[in-house]
Amino acid sequence: MNCRDLEPLVMPYLDGELVEAERLAVERHLTECAGCSKQAEVGRHNRTLLRTLVKAGTPPAPESLKAKIFTSVRAVEARQRQGRFLRLSAAAAGVALCAFVGHQQWRSFQRRLYVEDAASRHARQFPLEVRLPQPEALEAWFDGKLGHRVAVPRFPNAIAEGARVLNVREKQAAYIRYDAPARASAQPRQVGLFVFGDNSNDVDVGARGAPDLRNSNGYNVVTWREGDLVYQLVTDLEEDDIRELLPSEPPMRVPVPVPVPTRRPLDVQPAAFQR
Amino acid sequence: MLGFSTRSDKTRAEFEGLVAPWLDSLYGGALRLTRNERDAEDLVQDTVMRAYRFFDKFERGTNFRAWLFKILTNTFINGYRRQVKERSLGDESERQSVEAQFFSADTTDQAQNPEDFLLQRVMSDDVLKAIDGLPIDFRMVVILADLQEFSYKEIAEILDVPVGTVMSRLFRGRRQLEGLLRKRELAEEAPLVDLNAYRERKKLG
Repeated sequence: MNCRDLEPLVMPYLDGELVEAERLAVERHLTECAGCSKQAEVGRHNRTLLRTLVKAGTPPAPESLKAKIFTSVRAVEARQRQGRFLRLSAAAAGVALCAFVGHQQWRSFQRRLYVEDAASRHARQFPLEVRLPQPEALEAWFDGKLGHRVAVPRFPNAIAEGARVLNVREKQAAYIRYDAPARASAQPRQVGLFVFGDNSNDVDVGARGAPDLRNSNGYNVVTWREGDLVYQLVTDLEEDDIRELLPSEPPMRVPVPVPVPTRRPLDVQPAAFQR
Repeated sequence: MLGFSTRSDKTRAEFEGLVAPWLDSLYGGALRLTRNERDAEDLVQDTVMRAYRFFDKFERGTNFRAWLFKILTNTFINGYRRQVKERSLGDESERQSVEAQFFSADTTDQAQNPEDFLLQRVMSDDVLKAIDGLPIDFRMVVILADLQEFSYKEIAEILDVPVGTVMSRLFRGRRQLEGLLRKRELAEEAPLVDLNAYRERKKLG
């Protein structure tokens, strides 16, 4: 190794970055060459001095900075945890929402099944077990036949034809058939009314007990609830006729036009108009 | 929930334990990179927060200090460098005039002999100022080698450059540094006003 070869190796040598063989070669040359030895000594001195001075002049991180950093790290961790919690909550809320929507749809589907069953049973014209026009007599006839008392609704314009016991799906119901007048034809139309107990609220009648009108198999089916009793009225009457039929039924909120009092014109005119 | 919180709590504790010993050296490095305390504090804060965010990417058992400094230099290069440059453009002339005061132009050329011992009276402040005057690429290598005492290989990994590049930058950076300091020394050889003597004279007079 000559002096020219040594030059690029001095700095890595002083930094301790040479592999064993290179280091030994450099050291051998340094023992033999006074000039290079002097240069290496200067290099070592300057390197040490620089490092010492740089380090001496470098202050530690302010305590306030350290405190701020650890506070921030903790805040981020808390946020991450909160984020996970929120994501979990969102997922839980999603599941709950799906369950709720699913439940609602299930209820709606169930109600639909009751409506369809009532309509199809009414359509099949099962023979009546008793023919009595008076509601009181029908109530007396039903007494004891079902698990609940049957209050037979009084429809002002309809006349009861008779009654029987008939199921709507799995519910044993009182079935009363009426004849009701229709505007569209001279012939009265048949109205079937099912009354059954539903204390488990299987038939989800719309909000606040308002009657629910649906169409099934060409029949209009009105469903309402009074306490534990569900009423299903099945008919081929038009909607207007149904309203006519149930004017006094409290849940059926039909807006009644307020009669405007008409005043008889006075037979008096201003003097100027008098001839 | 409990499982999650315990895990993130443990991760945070592990991170804090690993990072705490290096905050001082991160700050020291940041100070030389940004050349002012406020930016240095921001840079260290950004670096640590970034390290925390990517802590799951850190391979356990590898060189955490080098990993931190890689984030530090990247954060500086990506965010602070332009900002600092823009700021320093305004006072570039001022900085040069300060340098001109220390190192007059006529002494510059004769001060390049690397075979001279640097004088013991060189002060830390002079060295730091000289480092701050280095071009950023040299400055980063000098900071990492002489202040942080990283090996060439570590510096190469931190800066994502070949070891040969590290060596040449370090060589040239140190050369410039010594040159700047030597200019400073020469400038100081001019007789200085002795402040105490001046005060004494005033008192007597």
